[in-house]
Amino acid sequence: MEFLLVLIFPVVAFLVVGLLGRRLGDFPSAIITVLASSLSFLFSLYAALQAIKNPVHVPLYTFILLQSKPLELGLLFDTLSSVVATLVTFVATFIFLYSIGYMRNLFGQWTYKFYAYLSFFLFSMLLIVLSDNLLLLFFGWEGVGLASYLLIGYFHEQRKATNAALEAFVMNRVGDWLFLLGILMSFITFGSIRYQEMWEKAHLVDPLMLSWACLLLFGGAVGKSGQVPLHTWLPNAMAGPTPVSALLHSSTMVAAGVYMVARLHPVFEASDTALKVIVLVGSVTALMAALAATSHTDIKKIIAFSTMSQLGLMFIALGLKDKLAGSFHLITHAFFKALLFLAAGSVIHTFHHKVHDIYEVGGLRNKMPVTYLSFMVGALALAGVFPFAGFWSKELILGRAYEASFGIGVLVSVVSVLTAYYIFREGFVMFHGEERKGGAHESEGVMILPMAVLMLGSVFAGFGVWWYGSLMGKEVHIHGDTVVLSLVIALVGIGVAYGVYVRRWLSAEELYRVLRPLHTTFREQFFTERFYHKTLAGGYLLWSKVMHQTVETLLIDGVVNGFYPLFRSVGGVINLLQRGKLNMYVLGIYAGLALLVLITILWR
Amino acid sequence: MRTIPLEAYLILSFLLFGLGLLGMIARRNLVTVLMSMELALNAVNVALVGADVHLGMVEGQIFALFIIALAAAEAAVGLGIIIAIFRLRKVESTDEITDMRG
Repeated sequence: MEFLLVLIFPVVAFLVVGLLGRRLGDFPSAIITVLASSLSFLFSLYAALQAIKNPVHVPLYTFILLQSKPLELGLLFDTLSSVVATLVTFVATFIFLYSIGYMRNLFGQWTYKFYAYLSFFLFSMLLIVLSDNLLLLFFGWEGVGLASYLLIGYFHEQRKATNAALEAFVMNRVGDWLFLLGILMSFITFGSIRYQEMWEKAHLVDPLMLSWACLLLFGGAVGKSGQVPLHTWLPNAMAGPTPVSALLHSSTMVAAGVYMVARLHPVFEASDTALKVIVLVGSVTALMAALAATSHTDIKKIIAFSTMSQLGLMFIALGLKDKLAGSFHLITHAFFKALLFLAAGSVIHTFHHKVHDIYEVGGLRNKMPVTYLSFMVGALALAGVFPFAGFWSKELILGRAYEASFGIGVLVSVVSVLTAYYIFREGFVMFHGEERKGGAHESEGVMILPMAVLMLGSVFAGFGVWWYGSLMGKEVHIHGDTVVLSLVIALVGIGVAYGVYVRRWLSAEELYRVLRPLHTTFREQFFTERFYHKTLAGGYLLWSKVMHQTVETLLIDGVVNGFYPLFRSVGGVINLLQRGKLNMYVLGIYAGLALLVLITILWR
Repeated sequence: MRTIPLEAYLILSFLLFGLGLLGMIARRNLVTVLMSMELALNAVNVALVGADVHLGMVEGQIFALFIIALAAAEAAVGLGIIIAIFRLRKVESTDEITDMRG
């Protein structure tokens, strides 16, 4: 029961705030949301302490799918799920707290809806994390999709936001469709969709079927985690409020894909084809997103591309059969990515949500010391500088990549250099240099506190690596040479950014002019987005126009209009019988009665 | 005591029912139509009473009483409707009540 409470609190908060929010007011709604998620956090911590050594299985109910095979839905608390659930509720609680400050100026304008959606989002994510079978996971999967649609499009007066929400939803629909097929395929292959049975049978089933199931399931993960080719929604999702971006891009929705692959890792490990595809997709995404991040200037989009690229790294690790590195990077990434987003949100908030470009602001270092500190800690962690959290997890991935093959290792190194470069570029442009826009001031306490807590997480979370490794039953190897390598990588990236944007050894504008074609290519993500919008969507629209003008107008309308006179004339005849003349109706009644009497008489 | 023959009952009943029917079909005034309906109902009552007397059917009286009660109720409801329509539309002819025409 106490295990179930983890899931129940967000649901209760969602229902209470959603149904009574108007009467309660916006501020109490926010308080209820924060309270519910913090209680959920406490219970998940309790559950984690119980379940971390010996997994707990909580049966919920038996769902009769087929007569012979009852499907037992339930929750599974093991090391991975309980740690991730604790992480999700922890990060979410502080993001919710932060959003009280961030959304303050919108209170009194139905903002309770926002908090209801947040609770629903948290619940869906917990369902994904704690489910013990693919069906329940799919419910959560869809719930997260819906909640993200509602939250990304929260500022629905802006065309940009509604379009971004729609795009996120449609892109995810493609992924979800593959995912659903994957679930069906798993059911055909394993005869069950419970994790336990799938893990056990992974090496006993037909490898071809297994590969197909894995690839389809991974298709779902590609959609949710914004990997190539279903990635365009992720940077555009920045149109939503910043707390949403932080929630979406740190530990919840986009992590769901990675989490799912980590969850079914024994199954994926049995299929070499699927692993190869995962590594390939992860590599392409990591590199492309990192390149895109170097040439964007939108405050939040840079961090969004960074998320995409880091998720790519996680997939590389998972594809190289290293569940530990992948899931540990997921955990540390949640802390510092949430921190970066909150710091960015703090900057946006101080300028009353009017600022989007990093070049609009500058020299915020002295005005917003705490925000500056938070951003820099987050950036250091993301760049993988010792001893911050990102260092340890990136270290694991880098080591694993070099073990697997030199090429992948080089790719991960390049991505890491780019990562260090773009995040410090953003930091230096925003916080150093001369002031470009006045009126900045430090954010209020309710926004500072979450940043401080996440800062602590970003500094110290990495030291849990041995403990986490022992829980996973894996030895953690930290290699000396990769440590040196990753430090060099981080320092090179930071050094380049420092040289260009602080010291001005090279003029950034000059560089842009020289590298314009490259810059454009990177910014447009190798023109994928344009291709989707112009070629696929535009082509489809053109096709529909052509079809409308030929088939629709000539064939269909011709047939329909041809039948029209017939129906019209028959209708005209029938219409004579319903003129509304009472006497005629009475005559009809008695005529019918007389007819009946006549028939009965003549029948004898 | 001479009993009235059954044929007399039946002829009276037929005539009355025919008159009621004619009134219902030919008349256009709402109140007249209602009165014609009462006429038809009472024609049936006459037939039933005749059956009671001549064929020893006790049910005839019961039925007749039932029909009288029903006719009273129906007249009340019908008149209510007619008054409501009249107040609303200022019409009294069945031809003018064509709001529900298809």
